[in-house]
Amino acid sequence: MNNMTLMTRLEVVVPARDAPDIRELITTSGATGYTSVSGVSGIGHHGQHSGALLFNEYDTLTMIITVLPPDKASELIDAIRELLSTSSGVMFVADTYVSRPEYFQ
Amino acid sequence: MAHRRPRSALCPIVDRDRASSADCPRSYVMSLILRAHIASAAHNIMPGWPIQSFIAVNPLAGHEPISFHSVTERNVALTREHRAYLADLREGRITEADLEQAISERIPELARATISVIGQEVAAVRIAVLDMTSVQGSPTRTAAPVPASRSMLWLDEYLAAWLPSYVTLDPLWPMPHKQKGLFGAWRWLANQDTSLPRAVRRALRDVSVSADAALAWALERLAVTPELIRSTLAQELEHLPGWVGYIKWRAEKYGDIDLTSYLAIRFVLRALLTIPLTPSPIPPLADERALLWQRAEHLTARLSEHPARQDVAAVARVLAHHRPDEHRFTWQKAYELNYRSSLLPSLSSTTPPMKARPQLQVVMCIDPRSEGMRRHLEASEAVETFGFAGFFGVPVRFARYGARGSIDSLPALLTPRHSLTERPALPLQAEEHLARGRARDAVRQAAHIADTSTGTPFAFAETTGWFYGATSFLRTFTPTLYQRLRRALARPDPLHGSVTMGEAFTLEERAGIAETAVRMMGLSDFAPLVVLAGHFSESVNNLYQSALDCGACGGNPGTANARAATAIFNDSAVRAMLLLRGIDIPDGTVFVAADHNTTRDTITVLDRHLIPDSHRSLISDFEGLQRAAGKKLLYERAADLPGATKRQSVPRLRARADDWAEVYPELGLAGNAAMIIGPRTLTRGVDLSRRVFLHSYDTALDRDGTALETIMTAPLVVAQWINHQYYFSALNPDTLGAGTKTIHNAVGTIGVLAGHGGDLRRGLPWQSVGLGTKLFHEPMRLTVIIQAPLDRVGDIISRNQALRHLLDNDWITLTARAHTHAPWHRYTSYGWQTTTAPMKGQST
Repeated sequence: MNNMTLMTRLEVVVPARDAPDIRELITTSGATGYTSVSGVSGIGHHGQHSGALLFNEYDTLTMIITVLPPDKASELIDAIRELLSTSSGVMFVADTYVSRPEYFQ
Repeated sequence: MAHRRPRSALCPIVDRDRASSADCPRSYVMSLILRAHIASAAHNIMPGWPIQSFIAVNPLAGHEPISFHSVTERNVALTREHRAYLADLREGRITEADLEQAISERIPELARATISVIGQEVAAVRIAVLDMTSVQGSPTRTAAPVPASRSMLWLDEYLAAWLPSYVTLDPLWPMPHKQKGLFGAWRWLANQDTSLPRAVRRALRDVSVSADAALAWALERLAVTPELIRSTLAQELEHLPGWVGYIKWRAEKYGDIDLTSYLAIRFVLRALLTIPLTPSPIPPLADERALLWQRAEHLTARLSEHPARQDVAAVARVLAHHRPDEHRFTWQKAYELNYRSSLLPSLSSTTPPMKARPQLQVVMCIDPRSEGMRRHLEASEAVETFGFAGFFGVPVRFARYGARGSIDSLPALLTPRHSLTERPALPLQAEEHLARGRARDAVRQAAHIADTSTGTPFAFAETTGWFYGATSFLRTFTPTLYQRLRRALARPDPLHGSVTMGEAFTLEERAGIAETAVRMMGLSDFAPLVVLAGHFSESVNNLYQSALDCGACGGNPGTANARAATAIFNDSAVRAMLLLRGIDIPDGTVFVAADHNTTRDTITVLDRHLIPDSHRSLISDFEGLQRAAGKKLLYERAADLPGATKRQSVPRLRARADDWAEVYPELGLAGNAAMIIGPRTLTRGVDLSRRVFLHSYDTALDRDGTALETIMTAPLVVAQWINHQYYFSALNPDTLGAGTKTIHNAVGTIGVLAGHGGDLRRGLPWQSVGLGTKLFHEPMRLTVIIQAPLDRVGDIISRNQALRHLLDNDWITLTARAHTHAPWHRYTSYGWQTTTAPMKGQST
């Protein structure tokens, strides 16, 4: 695809208090970076979630996005899946394409 | 760190130089899985904030997604003992009507049911009450704790000795090899540790230097199967819970230590010393059906001498809804209902708002201690008071002028994003201020070095011992004089200056802060003088000093926030923007910052040089009012303070702040039981006994409900954290509380130990909740009362999971009414229900 390189993108939405654990797994996996979006809103298995709260970052939801090579992704996916088996949160995994693969190696 | 890890197919995390792939089977090769297991095992553990800025947290907050009564935690009591509730029943602190109401609320099926017993129709709740008052104690669901083995005690003591060495900031002797991380440093140094057997030290050399790999190896060596890894790790984390909580906090805050390293040491030692894993306690099984019939027979015999079998069966059907192990939760609910049924009728439904424009408005923290001061200040009709979170909506990191450190003066729910400092008004004074500060530091540093260096302590003691002896004498027998002298010598004059608001916040942000504050607390009809009073506590020789400071400011004084908020409200550019948003602050209105000293009950006006001459007389009036109010409050508190009496003089009562032997300088938030969110007209003139968090709120100024949502998701959550901290510290002084403070020793600024070692203590000391062997804090879950449209309150709850957890799972209760003349409604999982509890002082 236009000389783009195939990568794996993970999007994880968890309560903000659980986000440090996810971030730790991502950094331990060898991913070169992540994007963290706090105060995301929506409706899910546990009902409605308000977005950003003015004076409370602790009880909001955080979405963490990371992109890494497919061969590195497998272990991270298993780990996050394991973590989410005992706490609330969702993970989306998708193929994605990047123009500068060296940034993600 | 991860980039250097070998990508071995079998054992990707193991240092190949140290461990063979045979030691790392497939079940453990995935280091990330192991880390996920650790995170999962530690999920319900609350991070333990350092005592330097004590943060009140619900120690069981990790369990809030489940019902309060479903929580099972090792060595933790969720309620008081059965006999304590029975004593309350005898003394009238709980009535049978409270018990009936509690049963109706907890078991709706029984609320209106009746059964036929001995030819009479009897309410099911009556049967349940009779059962509760006749059963000799409610068995708990948790099994008796398994006593720790000697080897486990040794392991705990061993870790408790190593951890302070690693985590102490600025130690006298830094731990060698600290840069290798906790596990790496320990592994290196343990080779020289003669408390370990030689064979263990030798074997340790073959263990991987990587904590992940070493943990995986140890788990394998201990034959922990993959499906048991998480539960095994969770069980291990139950040891030294204070240290574990602190490591969790530190891992998130600084990242220089993590639970993987901690667990790696524990499991490697277990593997090398062959310390077996502790078996999980198995709850005893009981024949519930037989017990149920026995209870029913016993109860029916109280109703009739010759009960028929069908009578016993009818009673048994009722009792089946209310197992004995549920009784204690019903007792606790009745205990709380009794308080609520006193509180609600005391709230005014008729008090009219103030007719004339107030001459003085005072905004104080929602902290229950402010309630007393507000009540006494309002003895003057010209005074109007408001309650607002003590950081005044200005979350900042604050550093005093020229100071080396800073404080995060904001709720623990937030991360600091704005930094404030002071800008001196007089350059010459600032220079002098700095010079005196440096000189003072130099003297302290010299004394510290002389006192702690290897060769100098004896000479230092010889030469300065007379001085320290004299100061100790003064400090012990004339504490007030000593503190006066100390203050005069040590503290420089107050620096004339202002906080650097303009550099920390844009104009738009400042206007936003002001608008939010005004709408949240319903502040309108501005008086000529508006006082924003932060609060702090004053005591000496008190490791828990920060637990008495402002909870909304992260366990810090609210001084900086009050000064910052004042600067915002007095900013003409901000006022111009507020005018465009419909908030008109008259030109003649001046905001001033102040400090409420909760130990001495005084309010000190700050930044006096910024107050215009036109308002000097109003300031004098306010100071006269606060002096009178402070004295009244001081004597009111003296009735509760251990060792204080109303016969003591004001200086004597205030001297508690100076006395280094005083373990009860004040009682902090002891007694806190409720939070009221609504206009002050609800509570003005009502003595709430300093037990209630008061947040002002006026629906009229909050058209879209945003302000209420902010109150319910922030100040309410902070109040609940504080409430549960007191609750569990009172019920579990040895496990979730810190025990008596008289034997505490500090570990730097991290926390305290009881005696010379052991676990880092959690929660509040016994002196915050009890005296002798009795509690003076009544452990009750927070009763929240809101005056606002019910659909608005309901919408806010429905879109915030944290609130749903707290309310639906019975961690707090909520009662609300739409307006002054509307009936009170109780929030339930099924919707709003009109309160039907008999109110004290009302006919039923």
